[in-house]
Amino acid sequence: MLALAILSLLLVVIDSNTRLLRPVRDALSTIVSPIYFVAHAPYDVTAGVGERLASRQSLLAQNRRLQSRLLEMSALQQQFDSLRQENARLRDLLGSQATIEADVLVAEIIGQRPVPYRHHLVLDKGSRDGVYVGQAVIDADGLFGQVIEVGRFASIVMTVTDNSHAVPVQVQRNNLRSIASGTGDSEFLELEYVPITADIAPGDLLVSSGMGGRFPPGYPVAIVTDVGTDPGLAYAQVQARPLAALDRSRHVLLVFPQHSDEGAVIQNLPQIEAEGIEGARQ
Amino acid sequence: MSPARGGWVILLSVVLAMLLSVVQLPQGTPDWLAWLRPNWLLLVVFYWVMALPHRLGLITAWLIGLFADVLHGEALGVNAFGLAGITYVTWSLYERLRMYTRAQQALLVLVLATLLELVLLAAQLVTLGLSFEWMGLVQTLVTAVMTALFWPPVFLVLRWLRRHLKVV
Repeated sequence: MLALAILSLLLVVIDSNTRLLRPVRDALSTIVSPIYFVAHAPYDVTAGVGERLASRQSLLAQNRRLQSRLLEMSALQQQFDSLRQENARLRDLLGSQATIEADVLVAEIIGQRPVPYRHHLVLDKGSRDGVYVGQAVIDADGLFGQVIEVGRFASIVMTVTDNSHAVPVQVQRNNLRSIASGTGDSEFLELEYVPITADIAPGDLLVSSGMGGRFPPGYPVAIVTDVGTDPGLAYAQVQARPLAALDRSRHVLLVFPQHSDEGAVIQNLPQIEAEGIEGARQ
Repeated sequence: MSPARGGWVILLSVVLAMLLSVVQLPQGTPDWLAWLRPNWLLLVVFYWVMALPHRLGLITAWLIGLFADVLHGEALGVNAFGLAGITYVTWSLYERLRMYTRAQQALLVLVLATLLELVLLAAQLVTLGLSFEWMGLVQTLVTAVMTALFWPPVFLVLRWLRRHLKVV
């Protein structure tokens, strides 16, 4: 018993301080992931039955709604295409970095780890589908989180509100940079190291800045809800509400960054950003 | 000595306990219901060690705990340590335990569950660098009490399975 206790303690210390045990964790995770699939099965069944029993009326209504939404979207898409070209041309003129285009993979949320304080969700896609640790996850409304563990068939996502999560952001209005940290509360994030005199106000949209190369730039993250400036403190107390539907989404998107216009661009990049992109592509 | 048989029943009950520990409540059920989830794994391990101490040893319990750690996203080794500790205590008391009434056993389950949940809470606080909150402690105690309350029915079900399927 003493030996096991010491071994356990050793494991806890190693696992919580280093990444040495990640292969072990991923292997065990592959073995236990069927449990999540089985636990989620009843919901798949009820959803399937619900679809079969849905009335013709409601299906027609839904179809109409989706059709009109599609029309709106394709109108926006046309604008978007021309804007993107214009943007690329302007960036080219300025000699700055080209934006990163991304492929996405749809994944379903099949479970949640039953641990208080942690915001870990289980996705039904794993290393078999090319998912990797550190991959960015978004949903229809904004940045969702990142992959922290990958089994063969399932993976674990830490949402942006997890206490140990942080994402580099900038204010869309004026490019003010900051870091949005999770608080463990799924309702708000906190901005770190914002000077008291900084130009930031409730209602400002925060988008991912792409610094550090982990998250692709330009995805909406949160909306500033409250700015507290206490002259006694070194930094402003800024709270923001995450945009992603963290506890309502059923499907999320795994982002695979891809560089649009390779050789020419990487030469222009500062060294550190090139490394980030290389790392993301591997 | 008769050969061991029925190992699959033990395995199945452990898997079922893990399943119950992660299954999500349907949308629309009140939030407080999720608070009342007992520690199923503790109950199952406790039962098998008490009933068949030669079948479920320290190492097995430790490995079960390791899987639970991955399943729940704890630091590796926390549940492993907890379940091995519970196995150790149960194993050194099993002859006496069998003589106890159900209520007395439930009382021991309450003590063990409280200790285990406190270890889990402490590990979370230390590895995540969080500050202590009273809510965490309340959650811990609620889980422990629920685990003790669930002991009699779990005991009856597992005993019925053991006798019916002749697990020895």
